[in-house]
Amino acid sequence: MKCPRCDSEKTRTMVKSPVGDVWEVFVCENCWYSWRSTETPVVIEKFKLTDEIIATLGVIPPIPPLDI
Amino acid sequence: MAKTYKDLREFLATLEEEGQLVRVKEEVNPEPDIGAAGRAASRVPNGPAVLFEKIKGYKGQVVTNVHGSWQNHALMMGMPKDTSTKAQFEELNRRWDKFPIPPNVVTRDEAPCKQNTMSEDINLFEVLPLYRINEQDGGFFISKASVVSGDPEFPDDFNKQNVGTYRIQVKDKDRLGIQALAMHDIAVQLEKAERKNERLPIAIALGNTPLVTFMASTPVGYSQNEYEFVGALQDGVPTDIVKADTAPHLFVPAGAEVVLEGYIIPRVRVVEGPFGEFPGSYSGARLQCEVQITHITYRTDPIFENLYLGMPWTEIDYLMALNTSVPLYKQIKESFPEVVAVNAMYSHGIGVIISTKCRYGGYAKGVAMRLLSTPHGMPYSKIVIIVDEYVDPFNLEQVMWALTTRVQPSKDVTLIENAAGMPLDPSSYPAGMTTKMIIDATTPVPPEPNPRTVELLKDPVDTEKYIAIIRDLQKAMEDK
Repeated sequence: MKCPRCDSEKTRTMVKSPVGDVWEVFVCENCWYSWRSTETPVVIEKFKLTDEIIATLGVIPPIPPLDI
Repeated sequence: MAKTYKDLREFLATLEEEGQLVRVKEEVNPEPDIGAAGRAASRVPNGPAVLFEKIKGYKGQVVTNVHGSWQNHALMMGMPKDTSTKAQFEELNRRWDKFPIPPNVVTRDEAPCKQNTMSEDINLFEVLPLYRINEQDGGFFISKASVVSGDPEFPDDFNKQNVGTYRIQVKDKDRLGIQALAMHDIAVQLEKAERKNERLPIAIALGNTPLVTFMASTPVGYSQNEYEFVGALQDGVPTDIVKADTAPHLFVPAGAEVVLEGYIIPRVRVVEGPFGEFPGSYSGARLQCEVQITHITYRTDPIFENLYLGMPWTEIDYLMALNTSVPLYKQIKESFPEVVAVNAMYSHGIGVIISTKCRYGGYAKGVAMRLLSTPHGMPYSKIVIIVDEYVDPFNLEQVMWALTTRVQPSKDVTLIENAAGMPLDPSSYPAGMTTKMIIDATTPVPPEPNPRTVELLKDPVDTEKYIAIIRDLQKAMEDK
């Protein structure tokens, strides 16, 4: 199963519904998008991610230097 | 003595009695129903809280829009639900001065939030009916948590313990993403921990007594404890807190529905977002901190309280309205006692209106610059309007009158370029840098020249009397 956001195949089931067997939540281990099986995820073009984009995303907050 | 609430449940009971809570008894889907109801509730006049009793695939209940109207806001303060916004502002100011009211520390056995414990096979979904709030959110978000953390340098300093609201994305059954912007108190603590490559213990309290949630999203000083403000805002009644189980230097609200305990993983940033944010637009994906959850305590049959945020106004705009206005007012008033009121209700204080008496020429601009040098105003406030002391800053018709008749743009509008901005404001560029605008809508006082002085219109004598007469006549017609 492909990730609807970054097209990675590194997706897995995060959790199954605690009551009944009525849905699962999937997660992408590449971009950490998650969605429920009862949804039809449509990620708009603006929010699609590639490895190149992920590598240049802003870092919040910046990681400080280690105290020596 | 104002009515106070020990926990969320007591407040929900009052909201229901007052017609300010509705129950959806039929089973609903997590998406899009809960987000849609949160959006809808803030569009309905006197928007009530909405409690979902059954959510497909989940055990628990969800409540949203708990703070989402001026009626609910007044009831939170134990005031009549028809209390005006200005009167609520004034009452908050009165109670604010009771700070500090130390909280009441209860034992573990006395704390309802400790009724149940999960410390193995952590699964957030067993306890919380998590859901996507807005369609393009990158996952399921917890939008109304009170996050408790300590200062690693002074772990036992209760005053430096922080209770704040930060957006939280569910990344896994036992892992969360959290947004700690550099300007926020938790980022100060995180930096100290990360410099030593140490974990920062945190406790995330969900479903709290409404003034705890209110204070968690209030910008107060780094060394001012939020729980001591809750006692003040409860008109002197201390709030109950209890030690966290895994980090005993942290205290959590004793009546919380759910407490998630764990730590921020040091020096790690992972993709988080997008998330529909309070300025009414999505903030995109960023690399942000992650929290490992190791321990959960919860009340029996916990209620998950979460809020909708979207194009203003929504619940978050009610929650962050007066709790932004009051601390800014207090800070400015300390320097300039002539200041009468501060309305910082627009997007968490990005837009602010201040009414003040002007002691000498240029005073209004000075008051605006004081706002822009407060800890919250410096990054957040961008559009600042100063009006005369007799203009009610909460009455936008009066403010527009002042703008249209008191402002000569060539001399009364000042731009301050390359200043700090709120990164989530999409007009800031680069994110976090902006231009401030001060609009002086006050009447010039010496030595500023005022070549065309005017005589202001006053209400005719007996206007008040006629207001009463007209109201009575209207009522008589309605009763017919």
